[in-house]
Amino acid sequence: MYVFEGIWIALQQVWAHKLKSAFTLIGVIIGITFLIAVITVVEGMNRYVQEDFAGSLFGINTFTVVRRSQISTGSETEERRRRQARNPNLTLHDVEVISAAVPEAWRLAYNSDRGFDEVSYKERRRRNVRLIGGSDGYEALQGWDVEIGRGLTPLDQRRGLKVVVIGSEIADRLFPDVDPLGKQIRIGAHRFNVVGVWESQGGMFGVIRDASILMPFSVYRQTFARNPSEVDEISVKMRSMEEMEAAQIAVEGAMRTDRELRPGEENDFWIQTSSELLDTWDKIVKVLFAAIPGLVSISLVVGGIVIMNIMLLSVAGRIREIGIRKAVGARRRDILIQFLAESSTLSFIGAAIGILFGIGIGKGVEAFTPMPASVPMWGIALALALGILVGVGSGLYPAYRAAKQDPIVALRSE
Amino acid sequence: MNGEQGMQTNGNEVIIETHDLKKLYQMGSETIHALAGVDMQIRRNEYIAIMGPSGSGKSTLMNLIGCLDTPTEGEYVLNGTPVQGLDDDELARIRNREIGFVFQTFNLLPRASALHNVELPLIYAGVSSKVRQEKAKAALARVDLADRTHHKPSELSGGQRQRVAIARALVNDPSIVLADEPTGNLDSKTSEEIMSVFDELHSEGQTIIMVTHEHDIVGHAERVVTLRDGLIESHDARADGLL
Repeated sequence: MYVFEGIWIALQQVWAHKLKSAFTLIGVIIGITFLIAVITVVEGMNRYVQEDFAGSLFGINTFTVVRRSQISTGSETEERRRRQARNPNLTLHDVEVISAAVPEAWRLAYNSDRGFDEVSYKERRRRNVRLIGGSDGYEALQGWDVEIGRGLTPLDQRRGLKVVVIGSEIADRLFPDVDPLGKQIRIGAHRFNVVGVWESQGGMFGVIRDASILMPFSVYRQTFARNPSEVDEISVKMRSMEEMEAAQIAVEGAMRTDRELRPGEENDFWIQTSSELLDTWDKIVKVLFAAIPGLVSISLVVGGIVIMNIMLLSVAGRIREIGIRKAVGARRRDILIQFLAESSTLSFIGAAIGILFGIGIGKGVEAFTPMPASVPMWGIALALALGILVGVGSGLYPAYRAAKQDPIVALRSE
Repeated sequence: MNGEQGMQTNGNEVIIETHDLKKLYQMGSETIHALAGVDMQIRRNEYIAIMGPSGSGKSTLMNLIGCLDTPTEGEYVLNGTPVQGLDDDELARIRNREIGFVFQTFNLLPRASALHNVELPLIYAGVSSKVRQEKAKAALARVDLADRTHHKPSELSGGQRQRVAIARALVNDPSIVLADEPTGNLDSKTSEEIMSVFDELHSEGQTIIMVTHEHDIVGHAERVVTLRDGLIESHDARADGLL
């Protein structure tokens, strides 16, 4: 009952003094807003990475052999990067070695690529385009589909025809109001025929496909490659996770043999899979989630101190009221509970407001960036629990002060 | 200067009994005797006035009788229960169940309605909401304020506020109503109204103990206890103008 008394009084107070209450609750509101916003965004990204991104970037059941690892996270990888800098380039010979190692591969393709080229059509241009020279079957392995026109054919590859399939963003930029098919674009001193446009990938990592141009490997090799037998990536796709893991082992073995690596020696190449990316992402999320509590706590502690001060003031101004309550039979614990309920209600309201703001920020992020943001239930529950906790913690001392008032002295005050 | 027991005004059972009740304070090296040894008996349905000059100990006596404080020495038995050794929680319980206070300054919760003010003792008695509301309304009706239940104290006159306070004092059916200068903040007309409320309560069987220094008020009581310097100077039946 005294709990409801406290809650009811707190609600009345907050409503009667909205501006003062707003200032009182700023610390808690900020802390909770931050908590919810970050949790929302990270959860959303987490889901996106696990469900969409990893699949679309690396493909499911796919691994890629590269010269060295491209993803780095922390100091152990720094060292690894230094060692890997000396790795030899992959070549067409490696393609043969790998083909022989996994004849049962569902798909196998290789490619070389470079970023940051400029592409133009008439007076329109687009910078920072990624050029990919892909072998036959590259699109199929990547799972890319054309929206208009066609993909590359074995004929293009054999004949070394200077044809390209362009990403949707490039199409939009260079050909806003004409049909791109059949037109000639320039890359540096060279001209290529556009035969197709990829479907837009969109999303946070859509840049990978949408800002790329694919041409036959032989054409790329002739026109752009530093070294004619060099290959940047060799990808293998299997039909299942188990097959992929077995294939990975076979490829690793075949390459080690071919390169005459001794049993203790490290690989002088790197095999990349989507699980590596997911592990890396997992580490990032863990770090984020480890840092959040610290920042949120600071804000909540500050917010709690503010509430405590306001409650102390409130108690000081209500000494007579406490005397009255004790005179009609309130025990110490009744007064204690009442004031704790007041401070908890205050803090709870602050947390609720913070949750609303946090959700708002999350939705804003979702609307204005390609990042998805969804509010997890556990985040809201955590925020509300923290709200109550801060309220109880900050209210303890003021409530104790209120409860120990001597009724006779209290009745005389004011 | 302890007087002898005054005339018994009725044959009812004794509900308040004190033996050598003392309240002492240490002020540095001096000991102040706020109450220096008080013996008294109060029976059910008596109407007692406690008088005395400033510093006589009447406030101290009232605080002790009302269980707001505990004696330094001596005994106080309320309805058969010795009170002097009780702890804070037990005293609070007794205040809740047995005592109904009426103060000079009304002491109502300023931001609560009349009904909520009257309900207060019932809240601390753990009574359910529905029963609380009924009892509080009944108490307000008893003091003729049935039509003001939702008014806040600021919307009531002095006399009405004191009647709310009286209703609050009655709502938990206490053994005694303890009034400390209840008309001190009221004009003479309103004072008369309030005193007739007390008269009515007395005729309905309530035991009333009133601390006062006003002689016209004293006239309503059956018996007057006069204190001086922490002791009882006299315990007389109403002296009809002799005081």
